[in-house]
Amino acid sequence: MPPWLDPRLWPERLARLWRSSLQLRTILATVVLSAAAALAVGIAIDVSVGNSLFDARRDQLLTLSANATIAGQRVFDSTSGAGTDFDLTLQDAVSTIVTAAATTSDGTSYAIQLLGQPSGAGVPPNSSTTGLDVDEVVSDELREAVAEETTDLVHWQSVAIPRPDGTTAPGIVTASPLTIQGSHYALYLVYDISDTQDTLSVVQLALGLAGLALVLLIGAITWIVLRLVVGPVQRAAATSRRLAAGELDVRLPVKGDDVLATLARSFNGMAESLRGQITQLAELSTVQQRFVSDVSHELRTPLTTIRLAADVLADRAGDFSPETARTVELLHTQVERFEGLLADLLEMSRFDAGAVEMEIEPVNVARLAENAIAQMSALAEQKGSELVLIASGGFVEAELDGRRIRRILTNLIGNAIDHGEGRPIEIWVDSDADAVAIAVRDYGVGIKAEDLDRVFDRFWRADPSRQRTTGGSGLGLAISLEDAALHGGWLEAWSAPGEGSAFRLTLPRRQGGRFIASPLGLPPEREDDER
Amino acid sequence: MNERILVVDDDPALSEMLGIVLRSEGFDPAFCPDGAKAVDAFRTEKPDLVLLDVMLPGKDGIAVCRELRSESGTPVIMLTARSDTLDVVGGLEAGADDYVVKPFNPKELVARIRARLRPGKSSGDIVRIGDLVLDVAGHEVRRGEERISLTPLEFELLLALASRPEQVFTREMLLEQVWGYQYKADTRLVNVHVQRLRAKIEEDPDNPRLVLTVRGIGYRAGS
Repeated sequence: MPPWLDPRLWPERLARLWRSSLQLRTILATVVLSAAAALAVGIAIDVSVGNSLFDARRDQLLTLSANATIAGQRVFDSTSGAGTDFDLTLQDAVSTIVTAAATTSDGTSYAIQLLGQPSGAGVPPNSSTTGLDVDEVVSDELREAVAEETTDLVHWQSVAIPRPDGTTAPGIVTASPLTIQGSHYALYLVYDISDTQDTLSVVQLALGLAGLALVLLIGAITWIVLRLVVGPVQRAAATSRRLAAGELDVRLPVKGDDVLATLARSFNGMAESLRGQITQLAELSTVQQRFVSDVSHELRTPLTTIRLAADVLADRAGDFSPETARTVELLHTQVERFEGLLADLLEMSRFDAGAVEMEIEPVNVARLAENAIAQMSALAEQKGSELVLIASGGFVEAELDGRRIRRILTNLIGNAIDHGEGRPIEIWVDSDADAVAIAVRDYGVGIKAEDLDRVFDRFWRADPSRQRTTGGSGLGLAISLEDAALHGGWLEAWSAPGEGSAFRLTLPRRQGGRFIASPLGLPPEREDDER
Repeated sequence: MNERILVVDDDPALSEMLGIVLRSEGFDPAFCPDGAKAVDAFRTEKPDLVLLDVMLPGKDGIAVCRELRSESGTPVIMLTARSDTLDVVGGLEAGADDYVVKPFNPKELVARIRARLRPGKSSGDIVRIGDLVLDVAGHEVRRGEERISLTPLEFELLLALASRPEQVFTREMLLEQVWGYQYKADTRLVNVHVQRLRAKIEEDPDNPRLVLTVRGIGYRAGS
């Protein structure tokens, strides 16, 4: 089943559509507001037209009723006398009244009822149209009003007239007093005014249709206007996305001279300037990389010759006078130092140019640490420091550039040997599900707190007065930090004066992986249960 | 007779210095300053080993190396100014046995040269791996009647694996045993040469049966 068919997803989809579509929101708001306005206007018109229609109809019916009452009264008056056949008189009067009261629509009913006590014998009985239930349509208020009426004023009320099929029709009942043979009667005339209601319904229908059409029209107009305005904005948005994705050649079409054309022109100007800058930067970067590479090659070839010459001379130092021998020795060591410096400088400039490539392979970190320790053990022995591997974990594969991590490690161990005062140096390795960590801990003089932040700075030296043996370039930790960052890892330092220092390298197990904490403490310490 | 070493480098000072170092170590150096003439020089000098600079006028070292490989298994050591992938892996894939990064010291260079020139330690006569027969004394590999041509390095790599079929070799072990390295772990050397070896001896190099990868550890011989 496609997702849009699943009703459970509809609210979410609608919410997303609502959030994402400016058109939908605008059109919906416009339609809802104009519909509300149309509804209010429609109701006002409806009420006003309805009232007018009803008033006119009522006035017409009251006049009719008054006339009918007068005509009927006249018939009764002319035949008032004893011995008259009252039934005939009544018939006569009723037909007069009905004729006078008749409207264009049929269905006018009448009723004549005695009010109060009869004033003598021979009083005519009540009379009404067949089927008319007088008590149902005539309220007590109307009855009382007409009973107390002394003039010819016609009273009225709105009623619902029951129809034979059970429904009701709107109607008006008029009531006027009649005097028949000295007794008070009320003449009720019941008018069906559903024709007026029909007229009103036609008006309402017309109003409703007109309102609906108006709302739809407004919606359509809004949609068209939105398309005219939002369309170019959407195109601009799509074009910016493509530009951001690297398509530097995309441009917006410029049409006319309006605000949208200005937008398009500004956008195109921005894109052009961006392309220029990016191209320039890319060229600069290429130039920089080529320069680094050329310098590398051009410097290294003569340096190799010098290096070979210095080594050949150093091998024959025994043949020289002591002064010359010492000169050769200085030449030899300083060429080596120069070489290291050059290598580090080139590596640093490669980082700065962003021209480094990683060679990721599965690396067993503990074995890599063993290897680095073996490589550095000769130097450590010279200085009297013992290298101790403490690997409680790390015998797992991690995706690393082995060469870079080994370089970090030998650099850290070299620093530790330099500053370790001949005391043992511990190399800790551990791992968890997300990360591997290597820490190098020495028990030398330590680093002052204010210097700790600067150890990763380029060419920064802990203590210029200290004699240095490994002849580092001053770039070692800066390069290590870059290498660690390249892996998405951390390189952190800890130190306490007199207690030594620790450097901890934490790397994600998988390339691009994340970790929250290092498997090792800083400084690394044995967990209690292992002690 | 001293081993002859052809030095292909366009820098006269470095070439001369290399000559001094090589002569002092008892080698017989020959020189060629031009990449385009290197193959001709190789044919006339018939060296036991070639030191090949990567950046050469005429023709670059990688192309020269590829041409040398197409006609000979003579050991080639590249001299490169850069340790990045492009030069090193390019050279190795073209068939160079080993490389040294400038600037190098003479001991390092001589150690590399001797490692490539030392005769294979003949510990047996015939070693078998899968359907291949290795004649250790004759430095020959046969599949049935067909002779497979391997460079000395590839032969040693295969021999190392085949003589201890039960052993899984880490890349570091192979670097030490075949290349003579200690502590230097450029595993690209092993990876590239295993690929080259497979291309020669495996019937389906993508599906190796003779030289198997043990994931995360290294390689071992297939049964």
